[in-house]
Amino acid sequence: MTQDVPDGLPTSLLEGKALMAHLAKTLPTPAAQTLLSTYFNPRHPDHVLPGSVLSVSLPTGPFAGILISIRRKGIDTSFTLRNVVQRTGVEMRFNVCSPLIKDVKIISRAGQNGGKRMRRAKLFYLRDQPGKMTAISTAVKKASS
Amino acid sequence: MLGLKGTMTIIDNSGALIAECVNVLKAKSTPGVGTVGDEIVVVIKRARPISHNAALSNIVKVRRGDVHRAVIVRTKKEVMRPDGRYIRFDDNAAVLLNKKKELLATRVNGVVSSDLRMKGWGKIASLAPKVSRYYFRPRSI
Repeated sequence: MTQDVPDGLPTSLLEGKALMAHLAKTLPTPAAQTLLSTYFNPRHPDHVLPGSVLSVSLPTGPFAGILISIRRKGIDTSFTLRNVVQRTGVEMRFNVCSPLIKDVKIISRAGQNGGKRMRRAKLFYLRDQPGKMTAISTAVKKASS
Repeated sequence: MLGLKGTMTIIDNSGALIAECVNVLKAKSTPGVGTVGDEIVVVIKRARPISHNAALSNIVKVRRGDVHRAVIVRTKKEVMRPDGRYIRFDDNAAVLLNKKKELLATRVNGVVSSDLRMKGWGKIASLAPKVSRYYFRPRSI
């Protein structure tokens, strides 16, 4: 039983050869691919460091917060933003290749323009430090308003 | 993820402060753990003192030791949205209900999860001062 492969693609894909690599290249939207190759690519000069403040624009409104973790898994790369909303800490985890993410804006970068460089890759300790979070959340609010 | 003995803050103006879960009202086959949007039975562990004037009037008086129904509005355990996002709050919170699944109090203080809307508690979600509007509304087919 032979099936047709779309133009320009090798027929070895039907046998499963290099299938995951092909999917990693073609499944994400171009916007997501640029995100993956710039902001979330550790070898790119513009990559975001944990501790930066990002704003993600979603179809239902923006969510801004400090980047506390990046989970690098190629196409499944995800990142977590933390913010304090009405005295309650809220964390949201996004997939970089999610088609819902219209835009990721960097409000402030860690280590640049007076922003502190974080000495950790995962900033889960911020969950226990409300003092640091209030300072960050007020800055986020001011910047995103 | 709130089950038996799980404590949560009550974020409406009923007077209750902290409640403890006693039962999760779901199908008997599902495990007795509740998440955002689930109705649970709670015991009030701590409540605001009721002033003399309030005690005389017809305002709802919630006392320590009362057993009420409640709906979970925030969980510390992350909850997945249908689009793959996860949202997690810093505490567990609930809102008291009466037997008719209506709000016992009149106001809700604090953020609630938008997952409430998806589970049919749109009224409570709309009462909250700033609902987490970060949910994916499925397009109608």
